[in-house]
Parts: sequence; C-alpha cells; structure tokens
Amino acid sequence: MTDYLDANDILGHRLLLMVALGTPLQWDQAKGAAAHVRDWGIEQLLTIWRNNKDKERAVLLWGDEVEYLVIAVDESEQKVRLSLSQAEVLKALAENEELAKHGSMVPDLQGGEGAKNSCTLPTFHPEFGRFMLESTPGKPWSIDFKDLLQVEADMKRRRVIAKEHMAKDHYPVTLTTFPRLGTKDDFITPYYPPSGPALRSQFVPDEIANPHIRFPTLAANIRGRRGRKVELNVPVFKDKETPWPFHDPTVDYDMHQWPEDDDVRNGAAKDNCVYMDAMAFGMGSCCLQITFQAKNINEGRRLYDQLSPLGPILLALTAATPIYKGFLVDTDVRWNQISRAVDDRTREELGEAPLKNDRWRIPKSRYASNSTYIAQDPRLRSEYLDPDLVVDEKLKQRLIDGGMDDLLATHFAHLFIRDPLVVFSEDLKELDVNGSNHFENLQSTNWQHMRFKPPPPDNPSIGWRVEFRSMEIQMTDFENAAFSIFIVLLSRVILSFDLNLYIPIARTTENMETAHKRNALLDDKFWFRKDPFPQKTTPAASPFLRPQASNSEVPSQQSELDQSPKLNGARHTAGGTTSGTPPPGLSPVEDEYCLHTVSEVINGPSPGAPTSTDQFPGLIPLVQHYLSSLNLSVTTRCQIERYLELIARRADGSLWTNARWMRQYVSEHAEYKHDSAVNEKVTYDLIKALVDEIEPREDWSSRQGVGWEMFEPSG
Amino acid sequence: MAANMKLILSTSNVMSSGQSVMRRPIYSKSNVELVNGLRANFSLYQHHFSSSNNPSDAYKQWTTQEDNTLFVPVLRPQTLSEPRESYDITVKLFYLPGIPASRRCKHTREAIDLVLKELGVQSVDLLIVSFPGVSFDADDDGEEEMSEDESASADSDDSQGLDAQVKSWKVLEDYHSRGIISQLGLSEFSSDRLDKFLPEVSVRPTVDQINVKDCCVVPKTLIMYAKNNNIELLTHNDCMDILPCGTTRELLGPGDGGAHILASNPDSPDSEPGLKGNIEPQWVIKYTAVVKDRGVVENKGYFAMAQLGESEDGLPSKSKC
Repeated sequence: MTDYLDANDILGHRLLLMVALGTPLQWDQAKGAAAHVRDWGIEQLLTIWRNNKDKERAVLLWGDEVEYLVIAVDESEQKVRLSLSQAEVLKALAENEELAKHGSMVPDLQGGEGAKNSCTLPTFHPEFGRFMLESTPGKPWSIDFKDLLQVEADMKRRRVIAKEHMAKDHYPVTLTTFPRLGTKDDFITPYYPPSGPALRSQFVPDEIANPHIRFPTLAANIRGRRGRKVELNVPVFKDKETPWPFHDPTVDYDMHQWPEDDDVRNGAAKDNCVYMDAMAFGMGSCCLQITFQAKNINEGRRLYDQLSPLGPILLALTAATPIYKGFLVDTDVRWNQISRAVDDRTREELGEAPLKNDRWRIPKSRYASNSTYIAQDPRLRSEYLDPDLVVDEKLKQRLIDGGMDDLLATHFAHLFIRDPLVVFSEDLKELDVNGSNHFENLQSTNWQHMRFKPPPPDNPSIGWRVEFRSMEIQMTDFENAAFSIFIVLLSRVILSFDLNLYIPIARTTENMETAHKRNALLDDKFWFRKDPFPQKTTPAASPFLRPQASNSEVPSQQSELDQSPKLNGARHTAGGTTSGTPPPGLSPVEDEYCLHTVSEVINGPSPGAPTSTDQFPGLIPLVQHYLSSLNLSVTTRCQIERYLELIARRADGSLWTNARWMRQYVSEHAEYKHDSAVNEKVTYDLIKALVDEIEPREDWSSRQGVGWEMFEPSG
Repeated sequence: MAANMKLILSTSNVMSSGQSVMRRPIYSKSNVELVNGLRANFSLYQHHFSSSNNPSDAYKQWTTQEDNTLFVPVLRPQTLSEPRESYDITVKLFYLPGIPASRRCKHTREAIDLVLKELGVQSVDLLIVSFPGVSFDADDDGEEEMSEDESASADSDDSQGLDAQVKSWKVLEDYHSRGIISQLGLSEFSSDRLDKFLPEVSVRPTVDQINVKDCCVVPKTLIMYAKNNNIELLTHNDCMDILPCGTTRELLGPGDGGAHILASNPDSPDSEPGLKGNIEPQWVIKYTAVVKDRGVVENKGYFAMAQLGESEDGLPSKSKC
C-alpha cells in the first residue's frame, strides 16, 4: 500500500470519539433518543458494510497501544501520587518545536481534523483518566521483521519522549492501576476532594477524569442508567494478620451529599472485599491492545474467532494487578474491575428485579468477554454459540433485509442491545448515512475482549480490522514488545496453519473468570481445544484416477482432494452457517476440548508427558515452526527468541508475572504488616524500584537487582 | 516385479496437515516434518483406496507410473492462489550423502521442474543448496579445519569436495542466468569455506543458512565475512541427514504405517508382495511460498527422489538398504 497511514487509523476509534462535540444529553433525555441512535447506527453500518464487504487490503498492518499512568514522585515526602497533568503533557508534546516540524503528535481535540503525521514519530492520546496517557507508533507496523524488531525500541522512545514532556519529578509508568487510587490520603496532585456531581464517588473527585465533555457525561450517564453508582467489590487477599471478616476501613457510611451516598448503606460494600464506586477505578486502568488490518472481511472474521479463545490465556499470562485502593487483593488482573466500573445495567437487566420497563435480562456488562463468533467457517459448529444470546431481533432483521448474513447480523444486533451513553443533540437532527458516528456510538462502547472494526468511512485506504484487547500492560517495554509481537506472530500462525481453536464461547467466558484468580496462571486450568489442526478429509469416492495411468496427465487442481487452505477466504465463505446439524462423523463437542494449564497452551505438553495427538501442541512450538518456514536472519531470529523465551518461561512459572512479583515485593517490605494493607511508603518504594531499577535495566543475567525474578530464571 | 525405478515422493502442502507434521517433539529432529509429511500424505491416499481387493496392488490406484518413474502419490499440483508477485518462493535443494556428484545436474533439473509445476510458477526467488558433509559449528569460531569426515572423504568420495560443490553450483548458475532462480544461497558454510568457494563461482551466493540453534552465537568472523561479501545469514532448522535410506524403506514398506509399495527387504523372496531391490534416496527439495505482505505461509512441501534397484549410470553407491 502506498498511501501513508497514521497508525491511529488502523487502531481506531478514539479520534471519532474525541471530535464529536456539541451538547451532550443528560441520561433522562439520552434514554429517549436511544432507539433513534440505534436505528441510525444500523443504517450507517449497512452502508459501511455494503461499501466495504468486498474490500481487499493485501498488506498486513498492525499497531499497538501502550497506556501509561503519570506518576509524580515526591522524594522529600517519600510519596508517590497520580498526576492529573494529562492535558499539560499533551500540550507540551504538541508544542515541541522539533516534533512539530514533523507534524503535530497530538491529534487536535477541538479542530475535528486529526492531525496526520507524515513521520514515524509516535502519537500520544488522552485517555479516560486525567492521570493517563496513551501512545501509539507514528505509523502502523508491517509484518516485515525489520519492523517487528523496531517495536521495542519504538516503545522505549515513546516513553523517553513522554518523560521529556513532563515535570522533572513525573514519570510515565506502565502499571495497570495505581496501587493507592481512592485512598483517604492525597493520592493525586493537584489535590481535589472527592464527591463531585458527575462521579458522586466517595473516594475520587470528578477531576480524576478527562475533562472533555464526553467523559464526565459517560460516567454520569452510566450511573444514571444504572440507577445507582457502579459497584466494584474485589475480594481482599487474606494474609495472616488481615482482620477477618474484613470490612473495607476506607468506606464512609455517613456521607450525605448525594442520593448515591445511600448505596453503601444499602449494602453496596461487601464483606471481605475492597469496595470501589466509580468508573475511574476501571477505566483508569492501563492495557496493552493490538489491532490488525485483515486482508478482507472474511479473514477479519476468521481472526476474530480464532483469537477469541486466546483472550483469557493472555490475560492470565500478563497478570499485573494485585493491589487496589491500598490493599492486596485476591485477584491478579484488572478485567472484571473495568467491567463493573462501566456496568450500566439496571436492576431489571441484572435480574435483581422483575422485568417491567426494560426489554431483557442481560448476562454481561458492556465491558466483557465477547459472546459471538462471526466467521463463515464450516468448522464453526452451532454448539459453540450461546443459545441464549440476547439480540435485538428487529435490528437484526433490518441488517438481514439489507443483505447481511445471519452470523454477522447477529453479532451487531447483539452489540446493539445496549443504549448509547453519550448522545449529542446536534447529531439527532439529520442522519448522515455516509457517516459512522451513530454506529460508533454503540460499537465503541461495547468493550469486549475482541473487537471487529469495519473500515472507517472517511479513510478508504483502511480495511477491516480486529482488535485483541485482553492483555494487561507490563512494567517494561521489553515485555510489552514481546507480548505485542507474540500476538502478531500468532495471527500469522493461525492463518498459515489454518488453525481451528474453536471452543464453545461459554467456555471462554468461564476462562475469563478463571484468569482472575490469584496465581491462576500456575494454579488453575483453562478450557482449550485439544487438536487445533485442520482435518484433512479423505477424498470423496470418485474415479479421479485411472490406476497406472500411462500418461503424465494430472488431475485438475480443483478436484476433491484439494483440501488445503486458500488464503483468499473463498474457502471460508462456502457453506458454514451455524444452523442445522453438524456433518455426520463429528465427535461430540465436549470431546474437542479439555482443561489445560496456561503452560500447556503456550508451551505444549510438559516434557516427559506421554505423546498424544489429544493434546494441544503449544503456541510457542507452533510459532517456532512457523518461523522456521520463513527466511529470517540470524539476528532477527535471535531477537525474536528472546521474546518467545520470556513468554514461554512466564507461562511455566520459571519467570514471575508482574502480579506475582509485586505481591512478593509488598510481602517482603519492612513496613508491610501482613494485614493486606499496602501503605504509602511501600507504594513509594515499589514505584521507585520500578522507575529507577526495573524499567531502565537491560541485562538481568546476574540474577540480581530488584525484579530479576520476572526476567531471569533462578537457574 | 524386478524394478529399476525412480520413485518421486511428495508431501503436498504440509501446512494443512499440521496434525501429523507437528507431532511431538516438534523440533527435536527437523526431518520430522518431511518424514511425517510423507507418511501423512501416503496414508491419506491409502485410506481412500483401501477398498481394493488386492492390497498388494493397492498403491497402483493412488500412484502413477510414467516410464520408469513412479509418483508416490500421484502429482496433484496446488497452484498458488494469488498473483506470482505476491509471493516469496524459496526452495532448498538437499544433495544427499553418498550420491555421486555426477548425477547432480540431472537431479537438479528434476527437482526444480517438480517444484515449478507444483506451484504453477515459472521461477523461484531463492534457491539454497545443501551439500552433504558441510556442517557449520559455531563453537569453532570460524577457524575450523575441514571436518574429519570431509577431509577423509575428499579422497574417497567425489561428492563432498570443493570441486564437486563448484560443479554443482555451475548448474544452478545456469538456472540463474535463465531467470528461473533469482538468487542463490548456501547452507552451513563457515567463513573459511566461503572464502574458498567464492573465487570459484561467477554467480555469488547472497545467502548462507545457519542452524537456528546457533542464531544467537554466530562467530564474529562469519558475521563480518558475510557482511563484507553481501551475504545474508539466515536461519534454518533442517538436519543434515534429512532422509536416511532406512527411513525411506519404512515409509514405503509393508510395515505398520508403511505405504505397502516396497517389500520388507531388498532381497525378500518373490512370494512377498511389494517391489524388490535396493532403495536409495537421491535428493530432497523443500519449497515454501510465503505471501510477502502478510507473512502467511500458503504452501510448503517436499519432494524426494529415491532410486529403486540399479541407477541408470550404474555407479555404485554407499548407502542403500
């Protein structure tokens, strides 16, 4: 592709969200406009789909998104605080003369025209939290291995650039969550007291969120729709001195500023849990997300399905979230906290009250593992799908009438069971059928662990894209590069081997829950398919060969023996709807998968285990096999091996996850009293260790220095 | 059947038969892909034609004979799905140990023709040649002597010396000049070996392949030498003896999982079904077609040729069984 592309075009949706300006409707009005927005969104989707369903983009492009906390380190007070300086940092980045020469690095929030970079300088973006920053590469990566080897250096450079545009004592830190967000002390700078009109949180102020009108509206309307504050109860880690039963000591039962202050008096805070009450506790988390451009819609749908079962595995493998609001918790990852922080379901939808006003019960938050498969793949058996999937049948019918197939229509009609949360009155006047604002309003507030992204109408050079969203951000750029590249290689392995990783989608939902458990990586097992390889079916009985043919005539390549994959997707459009019974001869679905440890999924059967075709061969061996089929230079392969080694050893436990290491660090700290409480000094030392010692360090071979257990096996 | 016959063995696309090719341990031995790929392909055909009344002749239904060449199984080219320029096509030609170098000209032609036909293309982007007895050892830091094996065999076996290598290279240069091969490469050459080889050839290799196990410990001497001579050091995961003749008989013989084409021994009694005579693998060629811009391996496979009975030139060979 010759067109220059901003990586952000590949990645996404964010600009769209940011530039839509106008008067946002309060929830009571927005609610009335919901059906209207959905109807128009479906019309826009149909136009996009019609215009792009045959679009071919021959080149793989992909991008990563790295999110940072901006942390202020106060050496004199020995304290660390979240810095609400997102706007200042972005402004400084935008004003930097040298960077400006190459085009603004910060998309113009007000102008509507996202500045297009003409260089490879990274791009920085605002995020929900005013203490957050996001960076993306200046242009999308290709599959060229020269590109893959630049990812780590580029991530490091992004961090350096970000740091250079912050106050001296500020640091961009890649932790999923700030360990003391929402405590009673001054955990933010500048300080604002909690309990504002938008969040109504007793722990965090409204100023914690990006002031762009979209974000406070989003938070307020989630709360408005839900009818109470969001509710996050994370089981506390029970250490030997933890008071039991544990009552979160930071909860104030005597606040009377907002009606929502009643929530805790009505039992919102659960025993033995750390209680949190605002969107900021979830959407203030940092993630590592990867977006691919697929060759065409069929390849995109296939990647969406095949990467989906990997979501929970990679979530457990990147575990990095053991502390909330100053307490060690009994979970290792962020996912469900974000899920609950944006859960706008009413009591009726949650099943806590009889259905009267609402249309249906909804089993999952809008931030959750995905619930549909969408590939037109003959291997997609109806048993894999959720029979109770909630869909808006009317909108689905509209899509089908518009020509869309049942599977894809089901997917979007499932996303469209939600209400739009932020509605601008200006947008309701006239439908721009060639736009995407209404469609994106629903699409981009369905935060599932996979996202299937149609091409943006305003940029014809972009194709269909798939986003992999479950991974936790890691402390170092080495790790973030390793996981990014691993996912990209897996996508190539899936296509090259035509892998079949299908399991019933309910099992993936179950795996997402499992991934949350403390040390699930080593202690728990996950549903995963046993045999991922395509079945070479025996040729249909036909006299295609004359025995001992005396001439050299070979049967036509289109004969029934030709079972090998075609990459143009044609093979996957043949048949393969999910209705009806599976072809005879298929074994029961339950025989296709079993429980695996993460290491078995990543590394294959453990050494010494009996050889069996019944076991998943391991993702790393598959990647190795793929790599050996390419012409890779020795330096490239050596570098890639470093990344694969990190992932392999994290999976088998010989290297520690970020979560495990942080637990250990807290546990061994002199000020930790084994009562689950992570105080300011412990947090300060943890962050200092991270920014001074772990993050900048390249070589761990001495097995010394803070954090070596995450990088060098103990031998 | 007293046969002097050439057997062309093919895996077809091994990417789509991962189940058998990837059997554990995946990369303990890199010829696993070839051997399992052949076995899987044979058994796919065998199963389909197992209904035959006469099992000893069953193979005739899924092989074809053309003069004195038996194709196992019948060739069914899987041409590429996108335009030629979308692909990087690499082939690696393995001349096998103990096979007289005088046959290489013919072998090269046979092997390349098969690949071109299989993929439905007129040219390949890179051909890497693997000479028998050439094995690079990173620990020697580029200062190795000729291996004992090689210096000893240099007298007794013309197939492993520099002269034979250069002669074989001339054949490949011809393909290069005709535009059928864009670039030529070598495998497992140390800097010393390259230094002897380069002055003797007119089309210089652009690639030298090193085993992946050494990818992080390539000696500086070789890195520098390669750089100075515009040779790219690539990785491979192939083993030296890629198709031993014992394995070939197992694959084609009457045993469990065999193709039931050969008898159990070269001199089995006439009463035993299957072709009699010595079997000796002559060459192996691997081909890989990668969609360049998407990094997808669309087609990868192997052909191997084995001689049954006496070869046409009547030259004796060392490894037969």
